[in-house]
Amino acid sequence: MTLFAQAFRPVGSNRVDPLLVALWIGLILLAVIWIAPFVFIVFTSLKSNASVMGTGAFAPPTDLAFDNYVAAWARGNFSTTVFNGVLITFIKVPLGVFLSAMAAYALARVPMRGSRPLFLLCVFGTMIPFQVMLAPIFQQVNAFGLINTYPGIILPYLAFGIPYQVFILHGFFSSVPKELSEAARIDGASHFTIFRRIFLPVSLPALSALFILDFVATWNEFAMALVILQDPRKWTLPLGLMTFQSQFQSDYGQLNAAIVMTVLPAAIVYLMFQRYFVAGLTAGAVKE
Amino acid sequence: MAKAFPSLRPQTQGYLLIAPALAVYALFAVYPMLNVVWMSFSAWNGLSPTSRFVGVANYRAVLTSDPVFWGALTNTVYWTALAVIVPNVVAFGLALALNQNLPGRSGLRVIFYLPVIIASIAVATIWKWMYDPFFGLFSNLLTTWGLTDFIGDWLGDRRIALWSVFAAYVWQTVGFAMVLFLAGLQNVSTTLVEAARIDGAGRWDVFRHVTLPAMKPTITVVFVLSLINSLKAFDIIYGMTGGGPAQSTQMLAMWAYTQSMQLGDFGKGAAISVILLVVTLAIVIPYLRWMQTQSEASK
Amino acid sequence: MTIRKALTGTFSALAVMAALGTGTASADDLKLWTLSFDSPTVVSAWKDIIKAFEAKNPGITVMMENRSTDEHKAALRVAARSDQGPDIYFMWAGLGLGGEFVNAGLSKPLDSYYAQYKWDDRLSAIAGSYSKLYPGGRHGVPYTFHGEALYYNKALFTKAGIAAPPTTYAELKADAAKLKAAGIPAFTFGGSVNWHLMRLMDAILESQCGADKHDALKAMKADWASEPCATASFKELKDWSANYTLSPFMGIDQSQSFKLFLANRAAMMLEGDWLVGQIRDAGRLADFDVFPIPTGTDRLYSFAEYYYVSSKSKAPDAAAKFLDYLLSDEVQQKYLGVIGSISVNAHVKYDNVDALNQRWLDIFAKYTKTFVNGDQAFPLNVTTEYFRVINEVASGSIAPENGGKTLQIFISANK
Repeated sequence: MTLFAQAFRPVGSNRVDPLLVALWIGLILLAVIWIAPFVFIVFTSLKSNASVMGTGAFAPPTDLAFDNYVAAWARGNFSTTVFNGVLITFIKVPLGVFLSAMAAYALARVPMRGSRPLFLLCVFGTMIPFQVMLAPIFQQVNAFGLINTYPGIILPYLAFGIPYQVFILHGFFSSVPKELSEAARIDGASHFTIFRRIFLPVSLPALSALFILDFVATWNEFAMALVILQDPRKWTLPLGLMTFQSQFQSDYGQLNAAIVMTVLPAAIVYLMFQRYFVAGLTAGAVKE
Repeated sequence: MAKAFPSLRPQTQGYLLIAPALAVYALFAVYPMLNVVWMSFSAWNGLSPTSRFVGVANYRAVLTSDPVFWGALTNTVYWTALAVIVPNVVAFGLALALNQNLPGRSGLRVIFYLPVIIASIAVATIWKWMYDPFFGLFSNLLTTWGLTDFIGDWLGDRRIALWSVFAAYVWQTVGFAMVLFLAGLQNVSTTLVEAARIDGAGRWDVFRHVTLPAMKPTITVVFVLSLINSLKAFDIIYGMTGGGPAQSTQMLAMWAYTQSMQLGDFGKGAAISVILLVVTLAIVIPYLRWMQTQSEASK
Repeated sequence: MTIRKALTGTFSALAVMAALGTGTASADDLKLWTLSFDSPTVVSAWKDIIKAFEAKNPGITVMMENRSTDEHKAALRVAARSDQGPDIYFMWAGLGLGGEFVNAGLSKPLDSYYAQYKWDDRLSAIAGSYSKLYPGGRHGVPYTFHGEALYYNKALFTKAGIAAPPTTYAELKADAAKLKAAGIPAFTFGGSVNWHLMRLMDAILESQCGADKHDALKAMKADWASEPCATASFKELKDWSANYTLSPFMGIDQSQSFKLFLANRAAMMLEGDWLVGQIRDAGRLADFDVFPIPTGTDRLYSFAEYYYVSSKSKAPDAAAKFLDYLLSDEVQQKYLGVIGSISVNAHVKYDNVDALNQRWLDIFAKYTKTFVNGDQAFPLNVTTEYFRVINEVASGSIAPENGGKTLQIFISANK
C-alpha cells in the first residue's frame, strides 16, 4: 500500500485525517457520475437497436454490434468530415499560432507608436464571443465569395483565434529577460531574426500549449462552420454529427457509435498531451 | 535576405510583423462587428440584391412586437448568472479537494476535465440521448429504481427544458474552471498555511484568511472567463432543443441567428446582435479598465 | 528567409485551397439539392436514377446533396446570395415556401422546356397546377404529390372495440375516448419538430372552420382573434394533446414517434403516403391501415413537392434534361410506390400495388380539392409563430382561448 502510505495527511501533519478519507470517497463517487455518460454511450454504441430498447442502460453489450460503427461511418460521411477536419485544423492551427507569435513579439518587444491601443484592441477581441454575430461574419465571408471553401472558414477562425493567442504570447514574451535580445540587437540583427532565432525557440513550451488547445478548439468548432460550410462535402465532424443526430435519431446504436467516433480524436489528443492543456490554460489567464 | 531587413527602421519591422495578424483580425472580426450595427438599421431579407435604411424600425420590432425576444433575454440573463455561479462553485470545491493529499488525484483530475475537450455539439448529442423520454439513460434508471413518476419530459417540458440543458452545460464546463482554480491554488503559500495551523487556526480560518485572499486574482479571471463563455452557449442549445419547446429555451445569440439565417430577416437579427453586444460590452469594458489599472499599478 | 518562405507557402496553400474549394466544375456538372430521405429504399432508388441518367447522357454528371428540412431551407437562402448554389433544388410548392424563392427571382421560368419536352401531356393536372401560380412564367416541375391521412394500428383498434374507421370528426373523437378507456393513447406525435404537431392543428382547423374560413385564416384575411372557430380549434388541440396523445411528446421527433407507433405504443399517426414505404421497410404492412382525416369537408390534406431550376444555374439545359428523365414514363413507372404512392405522371399504370398503397390510390381518386399544410401557406416568420402558439397551447402555457389572439397580434404587427 505504498500509494496510500503518505495519503490522507494534511499539510504539516503525520496523522491520517478522517475528513480527508470521507472527502476522497465523495470525490470517487462524483467521478463515477462524471464518467457514467461515457460508459453509457460506449455501451449503447455496441448494442443493436433491439437490445437498446430491451436491456438496462448499464448492462454491458452482449451482442457487440461493431457493425454500428461501420454503418455510422458510411451514413455519417465520416471519411469526408474527418478529412475536412484534419485539413482545416492542420492549416489553421500552425498558421494562427505563427501569425499571433509575430504580432505578439512586435507588441511586446518592438517600440512602436500605437502599440498600446493595438494591444487593447486585441484584448478587446478576446472578450467578444463570435456567436453573437454569426450573420455579419457570414456576410463578410460571402462578400469575398468564400462560402463553402476552406479559406472561407479558416480566415474567420484565424480572426477570432488571434486575439487570445496574442494576449497570452504577449505576456510570455514580455517576461523574457532583456539581456537575451539586447546583445543580438547590438550586433545589428533585425527584429525578424531575433524573433526567429531567440524568441521562437525559448517560447516553444508556450507555443506547443497553445497549439494543443487550439487544435481541440478548432476540431470541435460548430457555430461558425454551421453558417459558412453549407456544402456537405466541406463539413467538419461536428456538422456531420449534428446532421446524423437529426436524421438517424432513432437508430440508437449507430447514433452512439457516431458520437464515439466524433469525440475520440480530441480525447486521445487530450490524454496524450494533458500537461500542455494545463500549461496553456494557466499561462495567460492566471498569471495576472 | 536577412541582410536586407536591418535597413528598415525597427518600428517599420514591428508593423510588418503585426500586419498579417491585424489584417485578418480587422477584416473578419472587427469589420463584421461594425457592419452589424449598420445592418441593424436596415431591412434586408437576404434574397433581394439591396438593403434599405429603415432607422430604428428593427429595434422597435424586436423590443415591442417580438413574442420571443424578452423570453430569450430573460433566459440569457438567468443562464449567465447561473453559469457564473454553479459550475464555478462546484469547480472551486473540486479544486480544493483535489489540492489535498489524496491518492489518485491526477486520475480524478483527468476525469473531471475530460468533458471540456469534447465538442459541445457532441455533449449536446450525448445528453439529448440520455434525456430520451422512452429509451434514454434517465428514464431507464428511474424505471429500474421504480421511480417512474419522476420521469419527466426533460427537453420537452418548458418548465424544465432550459435547466436540463444547463445540467449538461455544468457537466461540460466544471473541469475548465477547476483547472484554473487548481493552478491558482499553487500560488497559495504552504508555509503560510503551516504557520497558521501551528498558530492553532482551524480549517475555516485558514481558508478565509490565507487561501481565499491568495485566490482573489484567479477568482476574478474565472469569473470573467465564465461570463464570456456563457454567452457562447450556442452549440449546446442548438443541438439539444433548437430553442424549443415553443421557443422556451431560446437565447439571444441563437435568436439572432434564427432571425437572420433561418427566417431571412437580417435587420432584426442584427438588432438582436447589437443588443447582445451592448450587454457584453457593459460587462467587458469595466473589466478591461480594471485590468489596465492593475497592470499600471504593477509597473 | 524561412518566415517569408513559410508565409508564401501558407498563402499559396490557401490559394490552392480556394481554387479547389470553389470548384472547377465544367458546365454540365449538375448540383441537385434535396432533402435527406428517411427510407433506404428511396435512397437507393435515387442513386439508380442518377446512375441511369448519367449512363444515357455522357458528359452530364449529377451530384445529389441531402440535408434535413430546416438545414435545407437555410442552405437555400444562403445559396441565393452566393455562387455556390444548386442547379436544381427541391422545395414545397406552396406560396409560403417555394413561392418565396420564386418571388425573389431564384427560380428560372421553364416555359420553353415545358414546350420542348411536352411535360403537360404527361403530368397529372393537380400536380402540375402549382407551376402556374406565378405571373410571368411557369416555375418548377412536380416531383411528388402527397396526401396526409390517419394511419392506424389494426390490432389496437380491435382491442378498443372499434369496428370501422371513423367517418366524422365526432366519431373520431368517440373512438379516441374508446382507445383511452382501453388504456391506449390515440395518437403519437413528435413535438420537437414543430411541423408534426402542426398537422393536427391544420386538420382540426379544417374540421372546425370549414373550407372557406380555414383558407381565409391561412391567408391571414380572417381575424384569428375574433373568429370563433379558431378559438374552438385551439380548444380541441388542447384536448387532443392533453388526453389522447402518447406523452411525453414535446421532447421527441417524428422518427422516434414512428418507432413508438411501430412498437404499438399508440393507435394512430397523422402521416403522409410516404409512410407506407417506411412501414414496408419495417416489414409491418399487414398491421396497419389508413383512412382520410374525417374533417367533414371534401378536401384532402395534401401538398406538392417540386424541383425548381435555379436562375443561377450555368447548365439549365442539362438540368431540364434531367428533370425530363425524372418525369419520364419509364422512371415514374419503375419507381412507383417508392417515390410516392401516386405518380405525378398520368401515364403510370397501377397494378400489383400492396393494400396500403391501394388505399392511397382510392383516397387520391376520391378527392378533387385540397387544403395545404400551415407551414406552406404562411410566410416563414408567421409559420415560426404559428408553431410556437401551437406548442404553447398544447403544453398548456397559453390558454386555448388566447391562442388565436396571440397569433393575430403577431400577424398584425408584422404585416
